[in-house]
Amino acid sequence: MELTPFLKSLLSTSGLSAYETPAAEIITATWQPLVDEIRRSKVGSLEALKRGTAKIEAGAQRPSILIAAHMDAIGMMVTRLQDGFLRVTQIGGVDARVLPGTPVTIHATGSGKTEELPGIVVQPVARLLPAALSDSPVPIDQLFIETGLLPKEVNAKIQIGDLVSYATEPVELTGETLAGHSLDNRASVAVLTIALDELQKKTHLWDVWTVATVQEEVTFGGAFTSAHSLRPALAIAIDVTFAKGPGASDWQTFPFGKGPTLGFGPNLHPFLFKKFEELAKTLEIPYQTEVMPRHSGTDAYAMQISAEGIPTMVIGIPLRYMHTPVEVVALKDIQRAGRLLAEFIAALESDFVEKIVWED
Amino acid sequence: MKSLIQKLTETFSPSGYEAAIREVIRAEVTGLADEIRVDALGNLIVRKAPAPGSAPAKKIMIAAHMDEIGLIASHIDENGFVRFTTIGGVYPQMLMGSRVRFYSGAPGIIHTEPLEKPTDTPSVEKMFIDVGAKSRKDCPIKVGEVAAFERPFLELGDRLVAKSMDDRIGCAVAIEALRALKSTPYEVYFVFTTQEEVGTRGAETSAFGIDPDLGFSIDVTGWGDTPGRKNFEMALGKGPAIKIKDGGMLSDPRIVNWMIKTAEKARLPYQREVLLGGTTDARAMQLVRAGVPVGCISIPCRYVHSPSEMVDINDVQNAVKLIGALLSNPIEL
Repeated sequence: MELTPFLKSLLSTSGLSAYETPAAEIITATWQPLVDEIRRSKVGSLEALKRGTAKIEAGAQRPSILIAAHMDAIGMMVTRLQDGFLRVTQIGGVDARVLPGTPVTIHATGSGKTEELPGIVVQPVARLLPAALSDSPVPIDQLFIETGLLPKEVNAKIQIGDLVSYATEPVELTGETLAGHSLDNRASVAVLTIALDELQKKTHLWDVWTVATVQEEVTFGGAFTSAHSLRPALAIAIDVTFAKGPGASDWQTFPFGKGPTLGFGPNLHPFLFKKFEELAKTLEIPYQTEVMPRHSGTDAYAMQISAEGIPTMVIGIPLRYMHTPVEVVALKDIQRAGRLLAEFIAALESDFVEKIVWED
Repeated sequence: MKSLIQKLTETFSPSGYEAAIREVIRAEVTGLADEIRVDALGNLIVRKAPAPGSAPAKKIMIAAHMDEIGLIASHIDENGFVRFTTIGGVYPQMLMGSRVRFYSGAPGIIHTEPLEKPTDTPSVEKMFIDVGAKSRKDCPIKVGEVAAFERPFLELGDRLVAKSMDDRIGCAVAIEALRALKSTPYEVYFVFTTQEEVGTRGAETSAFGIDPDLGFSIDVTGWGDTPGRKNFEMALGKGPAIKIKDGGMLSDPRIVNWMIKTAEKARLPYQREVLLGGTTDARAMQLVRAGVPVGCISIPCRYVHSPSEMVDINDVQNAVKLIGALLSNPIEL
């Protein structure tokens, strides 16, 4: 698997929350040869099984690990057509401060089939805004989307509820970094893919469920439901985290390109943290400890409390400018996280579950 | 149908205290279903079996919540005034001067401690309920007793006004849809849920118990057709709404398509709903077990969470027809 082309193809795809199919199709094509079974869940998560080699008695089940990264992306939805312009609301947490000037794609359904129309997010000129907003960021409910179409064409082509996705193409920056929208969390889908790739050359006792989850940005819905139905013995979420960058505080962020983070806190199982830390040291993979005192804000939150409860871990990819159209990641961190994950899975002994105890 | 709506909205049943409304609804649905039961959280589950000879039937869950927002007594002072807190999303500005009725039947009126400016909206902490008592001993209310708005049903032409249209109107639509349903390829579960206003709790557990293949809620949505409303296109009388998104969830696009196609085929008016805040029982249903494809049919409603919530009877009747059409034909997801 070539990382950069795969990731760029994913970043050029919409796949907003609840409408993930375009992303799922690209991922399916890449994962299919690497797994034994692949399917969509009842709510659309992509669930792929790579069987382990542990011998099992008739009627027993091989232990399984669920590795999850959400494939949905944030975006917008049309709320109103106003004199030929579109008003929108957010799907997920869009950073409205940087929206004006952003090229977008409107997935227009008014003609009866979906038509992709270009558009640009625009804001009223300062002197036409309420005084309180004239020199500050404009909230999303005051922004418009310009399509260039006449009002009657807009009314014919576009409907309330039509999706609006970022149209900015990914940019390869120097220094093996990539900029683009939806790196949250397609970067982590790439981590899963690298792990699957690495596992082709290894033997592993455990079954591996690799899941590209849906709707993380709105409800964690994919993680809740796949964890419930697959009932893995362990669950690992891969998601992006805040990298150091201009204006970011030192204590809330992690060095960029210096390795993935390992989550530590009540949402994560301390024994899994310890095992990942030991493994990273043995393999000389650089890592950073990310303290998560509450809800980790990732699929790990949902998976931990699904069904009877699942020992859960989270691996973070440091990323700059989260929830803007120009998120930036270091490719090296993606590769490191993928390798660490594969090595962890390959090292799982058949009785690993019995060794896990919650010791703080 | 208007008399049914009046009966439902003039019943007092805040979240957690749904016994009264449950009995009203039970009386309406008795004889219309194959099974009626009440689960551990008080949800009224009304099952209609598929027509004999149908292919293996999909289970469909239709949720309408029967609880309403309200108040709960938290303290009785020595002079017999009742301090209270809220159950669900009660706006303080709706309370001043309101009349309420307690669970025991005792009425009361709401007023406030003096404010810095008489034009301010008092916080709930500053308000109290006067039940006519002269002392604590004389007060008929016990700490923990619940109350709801006291406001009679009102008919203004096509527009119907009442407290607790949210979501007794959904209950009325569900009851009438069940009454009209002669034969269906589905195993249909109409669930009159509890505790929606305090976190879609009845829907979560009843969906877990039923484990439906698909489902939707019937609830009220907001409105955009009164002075000063912006960025939300929703009008009374233009048809029931098919929810695409609200503040808590995105409907499953397959369910949205099914609803829109069915409405168009049946030549029923409908509105596309993208609601900016708030959510319904459908959110809880979507996340249960291995996940459920869900949507929501909304009744446009003005002044939601006030003592005078307004709907249009045509939207209500068209919602009944739309649900009838949805339940008449099998769905392929």
